[in-house]
Amino acid sequence: PSSLLMLSDPRRDPSSAASGSCARAAPPGPQQTQEEILFHEETIDLGGDEFESEGNETVSEDSNNFVDKLNEQMMESVIISDSPNNSEDDTGELGCLQEMVDQMEAKDNQKSQTEVDKEEFLSNESETEHEETPKDISEIGTDDQASLKEESIQEAVKEEPKLGNNVSVETKPNNSGESTPEHQILSPSTTKPSSEAEPIPVCTIFSQANSASSQPQLFLPDGFESQMVKSPSFSSIIETPVKSNPQVVQPSPSLSKFFGDTVNTNTLASDFFDSFTTSNFISVSNPNASSSVPEQMASLSNGGDGSSSNPTFPVQNGRPEAGGPPSSLEITQSPKPFSQIQAVFAGTDDPFATALNMSELDRRNDAWIPSEETRNVLISVATQQYSAVFIDKENLTMPGLKFDNIQGDAVKDLMLRFLGEQAAVKRQVLNANSVEQSFVGLKQLISSKNWRAAVDLCGRLLTAHGQGYKKSGLPASHTTDSLQLWFVRLALLVKLNLFQSAEMEFEPFGNLDQPDLYYEYYPNVYPGRKGSMVPFSMRILHAELPQYLGNPQESLDRLHSMKIICAKILENLEQGLAEDGSMTNIAQENRQGKFFLKPFFFFTKSVFLLFDYVLAVDAYHSVMKYYPQQEPQLLSGIGRIFLQIGDIKTAEKYFQDVEKATHKLDGLQSQIMVLMNRAFLHLGQNNFAEAHRFFTEILKIDSSNAVANNNAAVCLLYLGKLKDSLRQLEGMVQQDPQHYLHESVLFNLTTMYELESSRSMQKKQALLEAVAIKEGDSFNTQCLKLG
Amino acid sequence: MDVNQPKQEHLLALKVMRLTKPTLFTNIPVTCEERDLPGNLFNQLMKDDPSTVKGAETLMLGEMLTLPQNFGNIFLGETFSSYISVHNDSSQVVKDILVKADLQTSSQRLNLSASSAAVAELKPDCCIDDVIHHEVKEIGTHILVCAVSYTTQTGEKMYFRKFFKFQVLKPLDVKTKFYNAESDLSSVTDEVFLEAQIQNITTSPMFMEKVSLEPSMMYNVAELNTVDTAGGSESTFGARTYLQPMDTRQYLYCLKPKQEFAEKAGVIKGVTVIGKLDIVWKTNLGERGRLQTSQLQRMAPGYGDVRLSLETIPDTVNLEEPFDITCKITNCSERTMDLVLEMCNTNSIHWCGVSGRQLGKLHPSSSLHLALTLLSSVQGLQSVSGLRLTDTFLKRTYEYDDIAQVCVVSSEIKQS
Repeated sequence: PSSLLMLSDPRRDPSSAASGSCARAAPPGPQQTQEEILFHEETIDLGGDEFESEGNETVSEDSNNFVDKLNEQMMESVIISDSPNNSEDDTGELGCLQEMVDQMEAKDNQKSQTEVDKEEFLSNESETEHEETPKDISEIGTDDQASLKEESIQEAVKEEPKLGNNVSVETKPNNSGESTPEHQILSPSTTKPSSEAEPIPVCTIFSQANSASSQPQLFLPDGFESQMVKSPSFSSIIETPVKSNPQVVQPSPSLSKFFGDTVNTNTLASDFFDSFTTSNFISVSNPNASSSVPEQMASLSNGGDGSSSNPTFPVQNGRPEAGGPPSSLEITQSPKPFSQIQAVFAGTDDPFATALNMSELDRRNDAWIPSEETRNVLISVATQQYSAVFIDKENLTMPGLKFDNIQGDAVKDLMLRFLGEQAAVKRQVLNANSVEQSFVGLKQLISSKNWRAAVDLCGRLLTAHGQGYKKSGLPASHTTDSLQLWFVRLALLVKLNLFQSAEMEFEPFGNLDQPDLYYEYYPNVYPGRKGSMVPFSMRILHAELPQYLGNPQESLDRLHSMKIICAKILENLEQGLAEDGSMTNIAQENRQGKFFLKPFFFFTKSVFLLFDYVLAVDAYHSVMKYYPQQEPQLLSGIGRIFLQIGDIKTAEKYFQDVEKATHKLDGLQSQIMVLMNRAFLHLGQNNFAEAHRFFTEILKIDSSNAVANNNAAVCLLYLGKLKDSLRQLEGMVQQDPQHYLHESVLFNLTTMYELESSRSMQKKQALLEAVAIKEGDSFNTQCLKLG
Repeated sequence: MDVNQPKQEHLLALKVMRLTKPTLFTNIPVTCEERDLPGNLFNQLMKDDPSTVKGAETLMLGEMLTLPQNFGNIFLGETFSSYISVHNDSSQVVKDILVKADLQTSSQRLNLSASSAAVAELKPDCCIDDVIHHEVKEIGTHILVCAVSYTTQTGEKMYFRKFFKFQVLKPLDVKTKFYNAESDLSSVTDEVFLEAQIQNITTSPMFMEKVSLEPSMMYNVAELNTVDTAGGSESTFGARTYLQPMDTRQYLYCLKPKQEFAEKAGVIKGVTVIGKLDIVWKTNLGERGRLQTSQLQRMAPGYGDVRLSLETIPDTVNLEEPFDITCKITNCSERTMDLVLEMCNTNSIHWCGVSGRQLGKLHPSSSLHLALTLLSSVQGLQSVSGLRLTDTFLKRTYEYDDIAQVCVVSSEIKQS
């Protein structure tokens, strides 16, 4: 994705230009004797041809600095900078451009004699090129031109529909008068619109339902538009309007990333779970887990099972039967009678553990309603404990790591590349090897923002569970732990924006409803325990994932099916049944299902936010009912949604509601919120000066407000005050790098560096050094635009 | 002369960046419950992130503004804004700097620079900034031409240019369709209904701020895109104020000829100008665009020499029971006519009264009213047909079929 940077050097030897090869600068022609004026031109194509020019960086006439060039590649579409790339494809066009511009320029009377000389030379040049490629200014609008140029614009206009039957559109101020009349024909005898016109259904209340459709009319007969109209790509790719092609240049953010969960899960958990269950994790810490021999691990793990005193497998929290997935390891390709294996471990049935497993809290949390099919399997497992139960392999969950090692530290890689080995050595971050191979180490990696390493560690721990690399498709047995590990791994992949990877590894889990994901499937391991092993958060993650991959509809479907089950559970509870609908005696105080399920609805709604503004707003309103304390934030959020779509008036209405809502409160927080909203409103009205004023107001109250600082700086840039803007951002970052080295701030900073000077590289490298001190391996280095 | 390194010889660097509106930074929040393995780690991480909304960390749409990340698309009717920065990369003071930004379109060349005055001097590491704006009025290739001239310390005059080419695309697809509500029962005017389909052919959602029809001088317009409810008028599009990419919206307008033109409505012929659509939309953070269609034109329905229109007709009649209709006959020709009315029965329609009666002379642009009685012998929706007018001067016969429809029901049904 790089826009073509076409360079044309007027002193280029005509022959070399005509040959179509501009890789090297040609020796100066005889005309270039003047030293007085350096005449240097570049043509930069900002058009939609970014997508076909991957290889173009090889060609450069004056990019003397490799580093600089890399820089260009990152940013080319915004900043057009000095290092032009060239491509053979465009030499023809170049000629015509050159000529066009020079013709224009010829009218300039501030031209010195030397320039005139040059002008002559230029026209020579373009003539030469003209012979080579018949593109000329006069031909730009012709069909020929359209077809020639088509490839350069087809990506950009990919999603344009076929422009069949349209009224020409023109801008108001000065063109309306000169447009040629349309050939609109309306005659009573015409009962059919012209062939290309899509007939609009005819309303029968009108006695004459003739349709007159306007004929296609070009905006200007010069033919520039004909490129658009005639490009065959129009007709072929119309069917994917909503799915935003990630490569398509979009000035406004894609709809697919709007909101996340609107739930504060903290509230949920603290409402419900006492510390006892919360800490009820059994960490299988295996010092050998790093070994690359999963088979061995598996057998080790198997051997260690059932004896919690085994030093290799410290079971921390005293739930002995959860120590391992014993049965699975014996299961070979063809499923064996399940209960036979289970029977071996019947001895582990511990009354205390059983009681524990059946605790109310677990029941409430694990509650899930399996599908009919799954339920039947589970019933047969429960009732035929000692006879064989055959389960189709199709119905088993057989996950495995899909990739071995994603570990890496992009920050360090960049340091190696730009700052040298010495600097890179100083970069020290935790990795999967440097922490305890347990949940403790995993948490350490997560909190230090070394998520890549954490993903790896999850992988190792899963390998110990026999679900390692290339184990997908092999029978496995699941435990609370293995599913939690999967959840963490997948959640981190999503956090790292590695959606494809997450999807791949999610795939064996199906719709998270296979029988072996229920406790009832393991009556000996989890005696008496019921419900799903899959953490609810993992279901949410599973449901939300498709939207990040451009398939929000699938997300919606998944959330809807979740919602149905949630509603069913609620209903059961209200009728005095257990969550799954079975007859159980549940004490009244334990029937707080509503409370427990509360967030489900938010989550369910939340996904709407990702692609549908109307539903998004609805959802915000419903969330507000449950979290009145978040009302001002949510109202502001709704306001920002409207701002984002461009509906400034409605945004204003919501911002006013915020002011009313915060009127009663007088806190710093609400004061800031009101000012922030006012600033955004001015931004929406294109008044950057006023917006800046309000952001600055916030800084008077709270000088360390990162958002206000950053936003004020952004406004300054739009006001043409690049240096002031930079000063503000730099000041903020220096003031508290710990806090302000945020991806978005850094992105703004590097963008401004690129705009400011040709020496942005050094400054970016300085930022890299600052980042290296603070950030973990999950840092998104793209915002530094170092290539 | 070393042409491989021409850039180094320049003391000034020119940078250009398109200023689309900034965007709001979005997070991808991943949450978990307290009892899950990461405990509150995920939530804590989100709290510490400066880009999240404090107090509602799980909102994806934050408040942090980010600068545009690429050139983006530019559409007809939008405003092209660009930052132009000329930076002194050298260590010497440069004098008499003139920065000129022109926009070359297929038809014209516009100067976009705010000022054309030269800057006296530029110290090292300083820059000249300019933000240019231009409302894009043409489709197709545009070239931004930035020219910089300056004088070095040694008095050397330097000059360089850069060209930035971009394509202006069409944001909307507009289709229109006219319905002639031919002077039917209301008889007063010839109303024209305009149906306009507007499709968003960009890649981002579009808020339609205004879509209105500016009628030509002959017409008054009524917009039929709101429904009056108790609480005021409500848009027919509901709460959905925006168009997703490729979505199409249908607007409906009713145009009535003004009184002075309505008099002649019966005889208006040929092409008439209806008016034009004025469309204002907004996208990300209020980025505005405005377009107008060209004048929409319509061919007035031709009525021939003699126009027969219905003034009154019942909607439902009883089977085999006579009912009355009133016709209006207008002479649309330039000459006086002498008319004879014939009434021909069809399978279902039976005319009562004498066929072949003289209507007398009818002068140009004048009309006469005629009450007729007929009955239907068939149930269902029946078409009134079979009227014939003959101009005895020219021996020309005009046929009028399918003038109107009536619903014919059996009398028992109607009574009950």
